[in-house]
Amino acid sequence: MAVKIRLRRMGQKKAPFYRIVVADSRSPRDGRFIEEIGTYDPNTDPSTFKVNEELAKKWLANGAQPTEIVSKIFKLAGIEK
Amino acid sequence: MEKIVEQGLLYDFYGELLTEHQKRIYEEAVYQDMSLSEIAEDNGISRQGVHDLLRRCDKILADYENTLHLVEKYKNIRKRAQEIRTLCGAVLTDSGAGTCADDGKAKEDGAPAEAGGAEKCARRTKAYEAARRIDGLAGEILEEL
Repeated sequence: MAVKIRLRRMGQKKAPFYRIVVADSRSPRDGRFIEEIGTYDPNTDPSTFKVNEELAKKWLANGAQPTEIVSKIFKLAGIEK
Repeated sequence: MEKIVEQGLLYDFYGELLTEHQKRIYEEAVYQDMSLSEIAEDNGISRQGVHDLLRRCDKILADYENTLHLVEKYKNIRKRAQEIRTLCGAVLTDSGAGTCADDGKAKEDGAPAEAGGAEKCARRTKAYEAARRIDGLAGEILEEL
């Protein structure tokens, strides 16, 4: 079972707001997620994000695979594998 | 701005013009941040097929934007409305507290000062009300966008 760390878009139309969630790769579509570990808000300038570092590190250590954009955010947040 | 955010905005504006199939797959990629292989498996099509479809949708949406510029206009209007709100915020906190603060002082100073003070105060209250109204209007614009 592959576990992924991905963005999930919330908020209304035209006002994007994202959660960074840990989810099983097989329950994607509007599906449940295992845990929310942060947020990403592109509406502000520059965009802001919040990441629970402890949880992020825990999941990365457990082999969770972040998507491209999530890796980028982690890098900005100073979280390395 | 990040690509996925840009794609999401374009989709918000023009997504209804895509076919159901395109919408489903584009949403999985852009709203759910799913990988090509995950989408492929979920929809029973090849990874290459997903890739091509996403590229085609990107192009379709970009073409609409190049013709209609709705996203660009939306961003510009929003930016300016937000700036109006920021400016109003500064004015309101600046004059809000002091609106009629010297009102009482003027009264204590006696009749001559009171006339001038009251006039000034009335003017300031008017300006304050105007700023509040402008702030409200900007808020309405932002909400309706």
